[in-house]
Amino acid sequence: MTTAVADAHDSHDEHGPAKGIGRWLFSTNHKDIGTMYLVFSLTMFFIGGAMALVIRSELAVPGLQFVHPEFFNSMTTMHALIMVFGAVMPAFVGLANWMIPLMIGAPDMALPRMNNWSFWILPVAFGILLSTLLMPGGAPASGWTMYPPLVLQTGDAFPFLIFSVHLMGISSIMGAINVIVTIINMRAPEMTLLRMPMFVWTWLITAYLLIAVMPVLAGAVTMLLTDQFFGTSFFLAAGGGDPVMFQHIFWFFGHPEVYIMILPAFGVVSEIIPTFARKKLFGHDSMVYAAASIAFLSFIVWAHHMFTVGMPLTGQMFFMFATMLIAVPTGVKVFNWVATMWRGAMTFETPMLFSLAFVFLFTIGGFSGLMLAIAPADIQYHDTYFVVAHFHYVLVPGSVFAIMAGAYYWLPKWTGHMYNEKLGKLHFWTSTIFVNLTFFPMHFLGLAGMPRRIPDYSTQFTDFNTIASIGAIGFGLSQLLFVGVVLSAWKGSKATDRVWEGSHGLEWTVPSPAPYHTWETPPKARVAGEAFE
Amino acid sequence: MADAERKKGIRRTTLIVVAIAVAFYLGFIMLGVLRS
Repeated sequence: MTTAVADAHDSHDEHGPAKGIGRWLFSTNHKDIGTMYLVFSLTMFFIGGAMALVIRSELAVPGLQFVHPEFFNSMTTMHALIMVFGAVMPAFVGLANWMIPLMIGAPDMALPRMNNWSFWILPVAFGILLSTLLMPGGAPASGWTMYPPLVLQTGDAFPFLIFSVHLMGISSIMGAINVIVTIINMRAPEMTLLRMPMFVWTWLITAYLLIAVMPVLAGAVTMLLTDQFFGTSFFLAAGGGDPVMFQHIFWFFGHPEVYIMILPAFGVVSEIIPTFARKKLFGHDSMVYAAASIAFLSFIVWAHHMFTVGMPLTGQMFFMFATMLIAVPTGVKVFNWVATMWRGAMTFETPMLFSLAFVFLFTIGGFSGLMLAIAPADIQYHDTYFVVAHFHYVLVPGSVFAIMAGAYYWLPKWTGHMYNEKLGKLHFWTSTIFVNLTFFPMHFLGLAGMPRRIPDYSTQFTDFNTIASIGAIGFGLSQLLFVGVVLSAWKGSKATDRVWEGSHGLEWTVPSPAPYHTWETPPKARVAGEAFE
Repeated sequence: MADAERKKGIRRTTLIVVAIAVAFYLGFIMLGVLRS
């Protein structure tokens, strides 16, 4: 199988990458662009993580220690914007760029020049956002939700915030267009839609979510801009506007955004668990329908973020039950992962460890989400640390662990070398211990009534806050091990083409490292047929 | 899929998704205009 594929690549050896910086600036190669997205994401992960450590250092003990309250608010805002738009989303786009063409037998993304553009917009967007830290009035401090009228009190940074959010949105939309157009038009002849790997499927659904909701965020911030500078009153009560309308529009974007950050994670885990359980994914088609159902439901639950704003009882009931309904397709997914492992010949290499932790810990985040969905209870939980615990369980041991799992899983295919497994496992165990030490106590803090987004707190909350801060420092330091693992992959033993004993799919039929150009000749039907099964 | 057919498909799919994105952008701003 591999030989047949390798033959197809031999004739393209002369098309190597360009030399020097031009290779990266002008690249239209999906692998180079994928690498740039991943490196950018890791950089942002460390910048956003440093801001998290400022927050946790301030909260380690009661009283004001290190920063002014205004700067603390800037840190919570910037940490969120950077982690959501700069770390998690670009990491998944990077994985998509690298793996989707390899998995579906396409030579590259369908729109390679737009691919280059959508990446290079990102450093500009985040350069602008980070520059606000140095501006009069400081960086944005109204929370990542940018609620008016508070956000309109931002200093000189305001238009820069709006412009950078627009750029991030444009980048995401162009990335999503590329993913949809590639998957719809560039699949190998035998690759029918239901034969596509789960990672490709979850990304196709995610891309449609992006196309639908990123323009909504853009519309919302455009209206903020005109309210501030052009005399409109979309959200200003004094001019007849409605500030609550911003919240509705924001969360019409914001809730699907949660699934934009978790559906590709489901896809990554659905690739890894079958490999290390040495079984086919249980219920592939039901996983596809579950992902599509989650995506659909994500559009009709937005107001569960706003129960305390006030809405008719029927509205509360609708959004409560619609939110609870998401547990059904999510449960299908968790059940299928467990069923895939059931009686499998399992081994526990680092990607599998991160995937297993994902299944357990994401489910904890899912359950606390169910608690928050209950409208009368949410009145109590709202704006407390319980919410912070909930979404960090979904996003850190959820999305971030899945990204780590994917990076470990595909690193040998990208570099051609095995990473240091011992270092990888050390990274996993330290990350898992410290992530729970950081975020689990926040459930208790929230239930006890500690509000979020404050730099100081009552002394009764001291112990759990101190534990959370120790956990955060440990988690931050643990991530340095990941850098060590990535570097070790340049010196490790040579990876085979298939890399993992139980791996299957087209991406494992190309040599390791994957050649600069792949699938210029579509995979042969027989080869493709075997790989698809 | 033949090359020409594939190019046509790429153009068609791109136009459709761009149209969806623009519709959502303008649609929600229009919602703001009508509500305020």
